[in-house]
Parts: sequence; structure tokens; C-alpha cells
Amino acid sequence: MSEKASTIQVVKPQTIGQRRWKKFKTIKRGYYSLLFLSVLYALSFLLPVLVNNKALIVKYNDEYYFPAFKSLLASVPLVDNVVSTFQSGESIGQKGNSGDCHYRELMVQYQNEQGGNFIIMPIYPFNPIEDITTEGNLAFAEPLTSPDNIHTRILGTDENGRDVFARMSYGFQVSITFALLLVFVEYLIGIPIGGLLGYKGGWVDLILQRFIEMWSTLPVLFLIIIVVSFVQPNFLLLVLLLSLTAWIPITIYIRAEFLREKSKDYVVAAISIGVPTWKIMFKHILPNSLVPIVTNFPFAIVAGLTALVSLDFLGFGLPPPTPSWGQMLSTGLQNITKWWLVFSPMFALFTTLIMIVFIGEAIREAFDPKTFSRLR
Amino acid sequence: MNNSLLLEVKNLQVYFPIYGGVIQKKIAEVKAVDGVSFSLHRGETLGIVGESGCGKTTVGRAIINVLRHVSPDVHLGGEVLFHDKNGEIHNLLHLNTKSMIPFRSKIQMIFQDPYSSLNSRLSVKQIVSEPLEIHNSGMSAAEINDKVLWLLEKVGLQPEYSSRFPHEFSGGQRQRIGIARALATNPELIICDEPVSALDVSVQAQVINLMEDLRDEFGISYLFIAHDLSVVHHISKRIGVMYLGNMVEVGEADDVYFNPKHPYSKALLSSVPNPDPKQKGKKRIVLSGDIPNPLNKPSGCSFRTRCPIAQESCSISIPELTAKENQLVACPLV
Repeated sequence: MSEKASTIQVVKPQTIGQRRWKKFKTIKRGYYSLLFLSVLYALSFLLPVLVNNKALIVKYNDEYYFPAFKSLLASVPLVDNVVSTFQSGESIGQKGNSGDCHYRELMVQYQNEQGGNFIIMPIYPFNPIEDITTEGNLAFAEPLTSPDNIHTRILGTDENGRDVFARMSYGFQVSITFALLLVFVEYLIGIPIGGLLGYKGGWVDLILQRFIEMWSTLPVLFLIIIVVSFVQPNFLLLVLLLSLTAWIPITIYIRAEFLREKSKDYVVAAISIGVPTWKIMFKHILPNSLVPIVTNFPFAIVAGLTALVSLDFLGFGLPPPTPSWGQMLSTGLQNITKWWLVFSPMFALFTTLIMIVFIGEAIREAFDPKTFSRLR
Repeated sequence: MNNSLLLEVKNLQVYFPIYGGVIQKKIAEVKAVDGVSFSLHRGETLGIVGESGCGKTTVGRAIINVLRHVSPDVHLGGEVLFHDKNGEIHNLLHLNTKSMIPFRSKIQMIFQDPYSSLNSRLSVKQIVSEPLEIHNSGMSAAEINDKVLWLLEKVGLQPEYSSRFPHEFSGGQRQRIGIARALATNPELIICDEPVSALDVSVQAQVINLMEDLRDEFGISYLFIAHDLSVVHHISKRIGVMYLGNMVEVGEADDVYFNPKHPYSKALLSSVPNPDPKQKGKKRIVLSGDIPNPLNKPSGCSFRTRCPIAQESCSISIPELTAKENQLVACPLV
């Protein structure tokens, strides 16, 4: 008897979330786009040890230095004021250089000396904001050299002699972080307001909605142009300015969801128990209204990304030395004959956007209750 | 104590406004409940029956004061008097959210649809412990956990189920979870809004028996709203019959069930299928016509358009509930 009982397998019914995730995984291009972008974004936090002109390990007179890891630490917000990445050239044997050490030159110097000192550089030993054409002892290329030139790397250099590939990879991190932060702020404002409109209904809904309509006519682009003309823009200021009106679309979705959900019996049950209103909204209704939030998310990211790229392209975005795709695009426009300047940022932007759209499409399909969205 | 009043509903009116036109002016009212009065004693079960749309559910929701949350502009009239254990009388109808909280633990509700009445994102333990966290704030987490397991056992669910989610249960089991949630705060009154009409007949019997056991054990009063007459007769001590927002007949369960006086009660009760083949020849009263639109109710007695014994005088005034033999009947002609 007990043997028989042990052969019975308990099949736990799948929750709707598990079913949707399973369906999402069957849509290959969305699933692999999500994997690819997530891995790439996770890796982009390690950029200071992957793409950098500072050495990973320096061994000089039996002492070890780790300058690239120091700059990895310094890339964390708030820590950057505490950690100094400065390492003078003279302190580790680069004669006549009291400024920051030039590790690529020093590596060559160590190899010539054959004194047991060595340097290990990152995989791609260039920094996005250094001018790689001016380094003294190596005959680096002129600004605006094409990748064919043996002295430059994969994607050539731009008009200031900076490495295009390094700028592009750092630009990826900047763009995605910006979009994620923008969407987070959007949701932070939009979801409570939408919930309030939908849950309260009646006059509150009617009047607040008219206010939102008026607010939505705020010309954000002109506002940014005006603000930028007398304040140096930075990352957080741009997020703030763009989120002034960007929270409105999600508010409308959430309002409709709350309006529908609040008349269901589980909400009446919660009221009759005496659950406080804010708890009904966020503990009971919100988890049941996640569908528009999740399906809207990839497209909100796309909107945020394009907003930053357009601002940078027009010159109202992040200040100049920051690596950004929009600024690279406008460089490409000014040097339209230099194919590597035009196509690199275009390709990067296009690929990222289309992958996010694939993810969005797969999510939409996964949340579709019908098995096939087309007749077969 | 046992025979003292618990709840008195006096001339309850619930009107839902209808807006129309360009500036959304109020153009009409749906009189969902129009002057309903009844009273309920401690430990007693009052059944309310009537066809769909007659306002049974609205009466229940008016008593637990949730109508304003769903439709803020609703007009509520009359009185819902709750007699607490100290003999004080409170009118619940116009209390706001905050001042209603002390009464939330004393009046609970069981819902018709066991699928939509449980939040599918919360586990059984979270669902049942929520009222405890609100009303018994002195309880520790371990005490709450013990109470939840005890409640689940009381309603016939295995305590191991407490970490599961509602979608893993059948309809009858879900209804038991709803009952456990309603019992959590030791209520004095439970409003049962068609608690068994979504269940299979065999499961209905289990749930009804469970509810009777709980009533006898804890001395709870039920306001049992249903359209299934035999179920209502089985569980109730008294029965009220509603038609189009009005109470047309109230009396002891046996009197109303076996000897209805109001023509509508007669028609309603004759429609109950009888399993006894000896009574096969019993006459069925079939009403003609549809239930009138509550937007535009007939003048006088609202039942007169379908009533087999209606007269001219029925259209003049709304009949009051008056004593006829053992029950109260709102018809002067019987």
C-alpha cells in the first residue's frame, strides 16, 4: 500500500505566472533578446575592468597595484568621491611622468627592461574619454582614422581621437541605466496616481483627470532646452525633466485596471474586514493589475532610450565627455563620409531597440489568454 | 441575552443615480432597495429570498456599509441599527470608513462567488490572517498562526493547506476558506450572500451543515440571502420575501414556506421542485410578464402588474407590512 502511495506524483497546479513564463520562453527571439540584453547589461557594470586604459595588475619592484579595479570601485555612485584612481607615472617607474600613469607605454617599457616587472591590461585597453592619438612613444593614428589603420582598434577613432568601440560600450550602459531609471520614476509617480483615480472614482477621478490632461500639454522638449541653457545638465536632472510628463500614460492604464478590479468581491471582502484604503490599493488590487505594467515596460524603456538619444543628438543631453550614442550619431552626421562613425552608433541603437521590442512582443504574447493569436 | 435584538433595519433605501446628457446630470434613480424593514435577534437566522435583481444583495451590502466604496454617489436612506453587547445602539448606515472599523469585526460577510471573493495573489494563510492582523493587533505572529490553523480545522480544511493559493482549491474548499476568513474575528453577525448557489448540490449540503454547526457552536446570527427556497427554509428561523426592492412578506420559516400569504410568495414557493411523487398534482402558479424595470417602478404595489388578484386600488398606495395570521404581509387583499 505504501509502495503504491509513493508512486503517486503530486502535480502542483501551475500559477498563471508560471504559465506565462513558460509561454514566454517558447517565443525564442524575445527570450534570447532578454537573455542577451540582461547579460550584456550585467557585464556593462564590469566595463572598468573590461574596457579601460588602466592596467588590471601592475607588478613593480615586488609590489602589486590594481588600478583598473580601483576605477571599477570608483564607478559606483557615492563611492566615487572617496576612492582616488590617480597613480602617478613616476611612482611605478614611468620616468618623467608625474601625471597619471600611461599603462600601455609602461607595459612596453617593462617588456624592454626585462626586469621581472609586468603589467596585465584589460581585454580592450582603451578608455572612452582619452585621446588615443596623442600618446607619445607609439605612432597612434590621427583623429578620424578608419579601423583599417593598424594602430587603431575595431571601430576606429572619432574627431577627438577617442576610441569608438570603447565609447559605444560605455554608451550602452549609460543609455540603459537612464531608460531604467526613467521608467522607475514614471511608475513611481504614475501607479499611485492612476490607482487613486481608479479606486476613488466619481468627482476625484473627473477633476484630477482634467488636471492631468492640462499637465500633459507641457512642452517638455522646450522646457529642457530652456533649462539646459542656464544649468549644466546631468543624468538626474534629465531624468527629472523627462519624467515630468512621462508618467501620464501608465496612469491611464492603471486607472482602468483599478476601476475594473475594485468592484470584484475580493475588494468588497477586504473593505468589509476593515483593511485600510491604501492597503487595499497596493496589497489587494495592484498585484492583480500588473498586466499593463509588465506589458508596457519594454515599450517605456524604448521611449526612454530614444528620448535620451534624441536629446544628446540635439546637444541638450548629457555634457560632452560622457560617452553617449546620441552624441556619437551627431558626430557621424558631421562626418557623413566616415562610415565607422555613422554606422557604429546606428547599429548599436537599432539592435538594442529591436531586441527590446522583441521582448515586449513576446511578453504581450505570453500574457495573451488565447493559445494562437492568429488563425492556423 | 439569547433573545435580545442584534440588528434592526428600518425603512432602508438604496438609490443608485443614473447620469446622462452632456454635463452628466442626474437623470434618474434605480431604486434597488425601497423601504425595507426587518429585525434580527442574536443567534437567529433570517433568510431573505427573492428573484434576481430584487435587491437582496444590496440589502446585505448596505448593512456592512460597502456600497459607497463602489459607487460614491449612492443615496442611502433609513436606518441600520446595530445593538452591541452593552445594549448600545449604533446606526451603521452613515458611518465613515474610520468610525466603521470597530463594527467590521462584529459583522462579516460570506460571498456568492468563491472564485472572485478570494484574492488570487494571497495564500490561504494571508487571507485568513488579515482580519486578525487588523482587529486583534495584540496577537503575536505565532498566536495568529495558531488561530489560522485552528480556523482552517474548524471549517474542515487540512492545516497543511495554509501555504497554498486559492487556485489550488475546488469551489467548496474555497467557500470554506471564505467562511474561515469571516469567522476569524469572532463576529456576532455574518451576512451570507448566496453562499451556496455557486456550488454543487452535494457540496452545498456540506457547506450548509458546516454553517449550522458553527452557528450552534459560536452563537452567530446569519442573514442568509439566497434564491434557493428549500435551502433557506432548511437553515432559517424566519424568512423574508423580497420583490423589486420591497419586503412583501416576513414570518416564521415554516409559516412562510408552507402557508405563504402574499400572491408573490405563493408563486415563488410553488416553483420549488418537489421530490415527493405523491404531491405531483400540486398546482403551479406561473407569473406572466417580466419583472418591471426598477428605473420605472409601477405606482402603488410594485407587484400589481403581474399579480393574479390585482385590483384598481393596488395602484394607489404602497401597501405596508401588516400582520396576517402568523406573519407580516404587504398586501391588503389577502
